Amino acid sequence: MKAVAISVLRLGLLLAVWEICGDLRLIADGALPSPSAILWQWWQDRDVYPPHIWATVLPASIGFLVGNAVAIAASIGFVLAPALERLMRGFNIAVFAIPPIAISPVLVITLPGIWPQITLAAISVYFPTMLMTLLGLRDVDPRPIEVIRSYGGGDLAVLRWLRLRSCLPGLLGGLRVAAPAAILGAILAEFGSGSRWGLGSFLLGSLGRGNPARIWGIGLAATALAAIAYALCALLARRYAAASMVTIAQGVTLEPRRRAGRERLQDLALASGAFIMPFVIWWSILAGFRVSPVIARTPLAVWTFLTEGPGAADARGAILDALGQSLPWAGVGLVIALSVALGLAVLGVVWRGVTASLMPVALVLQTMPLVALTPIVVLVFGRGIATTLVVTVAVTFFPAFITIAQGLSQVPKPALDLLDVYGASRMQKLRFVSLPSSLPHVCAAARLVAPAALLGVMIAEWLATGYGLGNLLNEARGELDYGMIWAVAFVAIAVSVAFYQFVRLIETHILRRFQPATGA
Amino acid sequence: MDSTPDALRTDGLSVTGVRRTFKVEGRDIAALSDVSLECAPGSFTALIGPSGCGKSTLLRIIAGLDRPDQGAVSIGGAAPLEKCREGALGVAFQDAALLPWRTVRQNIALPLQVLGRSLQGHAARIDQLIELVGLKGFEDARPGQLSGGMRQRVAIARTLVTEPSVLLLDEPFGALDQILRRSMNLELQRIWLANRPTTVLVTHGIDEALFLADRIIVMQRNPGRIACIVEVPFARPRHPDLFAASEFHRLEDEVADHLFGAPAA
Repeated sequence: MKAVAISVLRLGLLLAVWEICGDLRLIADGALPSPSAILWQWWQDRDVYPPHIWATVLPASIGFLVGNAVAIAASIGFVLAPALERLMRGFNIAVFAIPPIAISPVLVITLPGIWPQITLAAISVYFPTMLMTLLGLRDVDPRPIEVIRSYGGGDLAVLRWLRLRSCLPGLLGGLRVAAPAAILGAILAEFGSGSRWGLGSFLLGSLGRGNPARIWGIGLAATALAAIAYALCALLARRYAAASMVTIAQGVTLEPRRRAGRERLQDLALASGAFIMPFVIWWSILAGFRVSPVIARTPLAVWTFLTEGPGAADARGAILDALGQSLPWAGVGLVIALSVALGLAVLGVVWRGVTASLMPVALVLQTMPLVALTPIVVLVFGRGIATTLVVTVAVTFFPAFITIAQGLSQVPKPALDLLDVYGASRMQKLRFVSLPSSLPHVCAAARLVAPAALLGVMIAEWLATGYGLGNLLNEARGELDYGMIWAVAFVAIAVSVAFYQFVRLIETHILRRFQPATGA
Repeated sequence: MDSTPDALRTDGLSVTGVRRTFKVEGRDIAALSDVSLECAPGSFTALIGPSGCGKSTLLRIIAGLDRPDQGAVSIGGAAPLEKCREGALGVAFQDAALLPWRTVRQNIALPLQVLGRSLQGHAARIDQLIELVGLKGFEDARPGQLSGGMRQRVAIARTLVTEPSVLLLDEPFGALDQILRRSMNLELQRIWLANRPTTVLVTHGIDEALFLADRIIVMQRNPGRIACIVEVPFARPRHPDLFAASEFHRLEDEVADHLFGAPAA
């Protein structure tokens, strides 16, 4: 009872301070409006909210259903045919690493109506659900498999009686991550679509109007929407997996198992297949939908755009310049976010309170559509580099912190007990056990949040700063320069995937050192 | 349940010239080298030996869970996989291998579902089995609510649900403490006497093997092979007093000598 009272008191105090700051225009000359101003603006906008919300929720829901259906079907296919999973690995990583804003214009020029929003929502949903379901399907108790096999049951019987049920907690955990992602996907597609309705369009349209209360109101409404979607799925998940706290952070390892020497050739074939597959899928989607070649560019057409003809050199130059402007900031943002996350997580090992108080906040915030709140950041921090950095750090910090803190919490207790036996201090435990064992988790975090860093930078550039890849994409969209739209989308994805693979290499190297020596 | 042994329904099993090698870090390890074994219908055979002697591998090959590189297994004249699909095999492991989301009753019913048989027709049989293994009142409990011994009893009941002609037990009580293990041995004998399926039991316990089996196959490793066979002459049903009998101890020492390589007395 007392704890509740204190929380209420704290919240009341926070609101009061906020109210005063807002009323007196203390922060960035009124960029932070008071709660009462936001409420009043909501009331005034009460007629326009329903159509805007509907225009976001409808495609987000369809995308959620479509993306999850594909993800579940794919993960079942992957578990039944492991070769298929390896063949599709390139595609899966590409989908994971896509900065949604990069392909938003591509989808808008290729697809009619609300399909760009549906598609981007579906793409945002696919990876978390696919991964968590696949992990759930795969990591089953091997003994019951043998029981089923001893009655002549094949792969399908194992799937039916064992895997499908035991993947439920993973699947539901995936859905929980996917639900807010669907809303975010739909909103980001609106940023690129120029359509009239939807919370994203509403937000973008209000950016230049000098009405901070409205922008904050829309941002909070979008956040609330994502929170409701999250809560609905979390409720479902609670029924089946009460105690298992699942986050996507735990298992982004699509690692091949070590294989015997004679299978090397097959490995090589599958790996090259995995590299080619995303391009095959890209090409066949365009061929299947019969989109006009003027608008829709095949992989070959993008290559031609960048290498042949009089404009190719200029296009390459523009993209390289833009990359030169964007990547350093994505890198800086990433490093800041990872350092702060590592610092806090390590502190949390020594002083439990740090993790205990930060973790719940981080768990909720990592699923919130933070990038969609970029207009608010613009409002507060202006149109400079500060905005780029704030957005980038904000979207990368929370998932990074969760990954590293959860990793550190898995440090084997005997290792710490051993140090206790010798009377080690907190600092010594930190130095000898916690810090070294956090290395793999820092790598995992970097791999996980790198695409988000690129997304954050591109969004800030698109909406505010007028530099870099995001700006190039926005200009190309304005000028209907189809070649450039496709080229930038491709380059952004390629850079993101390349970075992912680069960190993977480092990680593999580190993990090899961490593996226990294998005896005979 | 019909308590008279039904010799017609019980299959014997024969293992002939089975060889199985595994690759471990590039080297071939002979888990089983030219192993042959005959088990008469309704017999109880115990496999005993040090870790790595291939006794579990042998059991898995009999169960159709692994295939021999050479040699063959026949159960009542048919291949193991054929018998699997008839539900003629009942297999239990050291781990109860229960599905955590299923109740006791549902776990026992799993083999029937895998075999595509009707559940309604077997409801009474499942109730009988639950009573046989002493779990009446726990029909709707989930594995998480049961003790280790109770879980193992559910696993035993599950192996019996298809009325198997062959029972393959891979250290089913290996994870239980000595006291619980002995009472489970008594129960296993009672259950086995009810139907007398041809049984192969893999165990680390000499006393367990002597108490339950008609004969003990002592195995050795590098390569995995049958070292010798010890016949167990005690009449059935066997009483716990047997554990204290001098003849029991004499046989115990004999098996131990075979196991540890000293010359037999």
